[in-house]
This record gives sequence, structure tokens and C-alpha cells, in this order.
Amino acid sequence: MATFLVILHGLLAVVLLGGITHQAMSIALPSRNKSGIFRSFRAVSGTVYTNANIALFLAVTILGSIIYPTYRIAVRTYLENARLYGATGSFELKEQFVAVGLGMLPLYWLLWRRPPEDGGKPARIAVTLILCFIVWYGFLVGHVLNNIRGLFGL
Amino acid sequence: MNMEKVFPIFAAAFAVIYILAVEFNWALFTYHPKIGEWGWLAQPARTGPPMYWYGWLATSLLGASSLSLIACPLVGRRPAQYWLGWLVPLVVMLTFCYLFRDFFLR
Repeated sequence: MATFLVILHGLLAVVLLGGITHQAMSIALPSRNKSGIFRSFRAVSGTVYTNANIALFLAVTILGSIIYPTYRIAVRTYLENARLYGATGSFELKEQFVAVGLGMLPLYWLLWRRPPEDGGKPARIAVTLILCFIVWYGFLVGHVLNNIRGLFGL
Repeated sequence: MNMEKVFPIFAAAFAVIYILAVEFNWALFTYHPKIGEWGWLAQPARTGPPMYWYGWLATSLLGASSLSLIACPLVGRRPAQYWLGWLVPLVVMLTFCYLFRDFFLR
């Protein structure tokens, strides 16, 4: 069951990664020209991603919190015994960043709901970029830890 | 309730209360994963390691919601302070990096 949930957690994280990165690029480096893949990537309407990103962030966090006890008992103990303190610390940071991200979700929703001309554009850019960073960091750390024995030949 | 003014305060309060909850272990409840038991507030380890993360989240949610409701009438006609909602969480994230530096410096 835990393996199924980890895979589902990872798959939903990939979808979230795509959605939040598209949105972050569309607001931080906007483009009106859709010629070429990079410009097309940035030329999307960021607003349409908001609700999906929030739902995915919550779903990925809930799934993560369900499988967290398995990590705490089996994986973290292994990491500590193997003296992989950097790996343990990376996960500790991941859980704190995700928690901070959860608290930002209502503001993120609000900032994307209102017109950017009303003075909230810098905050919209900042909140989206911070959430994008949290999602990327969480994804990379989770992915590396999930495969740590294979990646480092342990 | 004016969401424009309250949500930035909520984001900032959540981040600050969360880091305080982690640092001083103000967990509203504790989970003991090895025996599958829950307990109120921060409890010491029973069999296996205790988990406080859920409790820290609950503390932060409760604290930030209360603070936002209290702040609601106080902000009055002042314009929405959106910067609070991203700058404070960003500083909290950087503070976490500093607090957890020992993991990476061993």
C-alpha cells in the first residue's frame, strides 16, 4: 500500500510541478508571442492553473502525510544509521517548506483571483515563485530520497 | 471579513507560529507511528520515534486563524499589506535553513 501511495504521490507531484512552473514562468517571464516551445511555455494564461495547483498541492501534501510515518520509522532510521545527515536534513527542510507553503495558499488563491492592476502584482509574482520553489525542492528531495540506495550505491 | 487584508496576515502568522511551534515544540498533538496512537500536546517517545509535524500544523492553523480574526477589525481602512504574506514566509524559510545547518555541516 505504501509503495502505491508513494507512486501516486510522485505522479501528482509531477502534474503539480508542470502546473506551477507554467504559471510561474507566465508571470515572471511573460511572453505574448507563441512562436517556439520556450515562448509558448511562457505565453499561457496563468490564472487557469490556480485552482488546480491548490488542489494538487493539498492532495500531494495529504498523500505525503499519510506515507510520512513509514518514512519516519523505516527510512529516516536507515538514513541516520548510514550517517546520511545531509539527506535527513534535506527532508526536514522539505517538511517545513511545505508547511509554510500551506499557509500561503489562501493568499495565492486571492492574488490570482483579483486583477493584477489592483496593486498585487509583485506579491503575486513573489508568492507564485516561492510556491514554485517549494514544489521543485520537495519533488527533488523526495525523488532522491526515494531512490537514495540506488543513486548512491548503498 | 475582508480577505484582501486578512489573507496576507494569515500567511505571515502561519509561518511565524509554525517556526515557533517547531522550535519550542508546541505540537497540539503527537502521533506515535510505531504503535499507531495519538496523544494531546507534545509527548515524549513511547515505542519508537514520536511525530510532531501534524501537531505543529494544527497549532499553526489554529493560531493563524485566531490571529487573523483578531486582526480583522484592527486593520480597518488601511490598504492590504500583501508584502507581509510573502516576505515573512520567505524569511521563515531562510531561518529554517539556518536552524537546520548542522545537518549539512557535520
